[in-house]
Amino acid sequence: MANVFMSMAEATAKAMHETTIGQQMTLQPWLWPTCETLHFIGLAMLVGAAGLFDLRLLGFMRRASLSAVMELRLWAGLGLAINLVTGLMFFAGAPDQYMHNPAWWWKVAFILIAGINILTFEFSPTTKALVEKIGPNDNTPMRFKVAGGLSLFSWFAVLYCGRMLPFIGNAF
Amino acid sequence: MQELFATIEGSNVSTWLRESNTIWAYPLVLTLHTVGLALLVGANTTLDLRLLGFGRRIPLSVMQQSFRVMWAGFWINAISGAFLFAADATTKGSTRLFALKLGLVLLGVIVIVATRRTVFVEGIDVDGISVSGLAKTLAVLSLLIWVTAITAGRLMAYV
Repeated sequence: MANVFMSMAEATAKAMHETTIGQQMTLQPWLWPTCETLHFIGLAMLVGAAGLFDLRLLGFMRRASLSAVMELRLWAGLGLAINLVTGLMFFAGAPDQYMHNPAWWWKVAFILIAGINILTFEFSPTTKALVEKIGPNDNTPMRFKVAGGLSLFSWFAVLYCGRMLPFIGNAF
Repeated sequence: MQELFATIEGSNVSTWLRESNTIWAYPLVLTLHTVGLALLVGANTTLDLRLLGFGRRIPLSVMQQSFRVMWAGFWINAISGAFLFAADATTKGSTRLFALKLGLVLLGVIVIVATRRTVFVEGIDVDGISVSGLAKTLAVLSLLIWVTAITAGRLMAYV
């Protein structure tokens, strides 16, 4: 089972590396540094906007209603989108340095945890009604505190694993 | 100046940071520098966006708490940054990109202080008044400065 998964992953990585973008990532000297810069700008947008929302979910900044703070989450989405695109570009450019890197697999795992957490929150039928009920000075239910805490923890774990890529698995 | 940088680079702490083969040395300091960046620029970005009219229903007085996060991020990065510089002082001390980054950080901090003084005036209910043109200009300036500072910092790894 694990072998089947790894050979499928290897085949996907090879196909991505053979695309134009996969080839250009290491052929154009400016492209990799540009994507790195965008990846860090996306990081700041994501952690900033998601962090604000997570803190309110945890019960801080109570003088703002939950739905008001939620208005900024599109900016977290934009940061996430920038980072998914540039992240996939790094992977396509040099898949081997990630495929065999434990820090990268941990990073992917925490992105999945954060992603499932977002999807559970956004698409739960009971969440939307509950969000509208939490006005200024209202505390949040335990369910929301768990979601906010999990989100905050996962994104910092993603950041840590990303920063460890060159040191645990020698990625550049 | 170059002699001073060489002395710093040769110190025990610098040598340990550079040469000890553990993720608790250089990698940890680099991680802290990225965490500080996320706190400082992240909190700054949401405040600037709010000043520019996004998330208008969030009371500005709530956003005043952003400054605490920003200063925490700033000090984490000032300290971790000093260690990262010490590990590599002769190279970093002589690159123009590093000088440019320091200049941008200084400018960014000045804009943060100016924003605080412009928007959050003592004795005035910030939630009762609209955001001034000056505050909006500072917000745009601040976003541009930090994007450029991140760019300069990131490019230091490649030159």
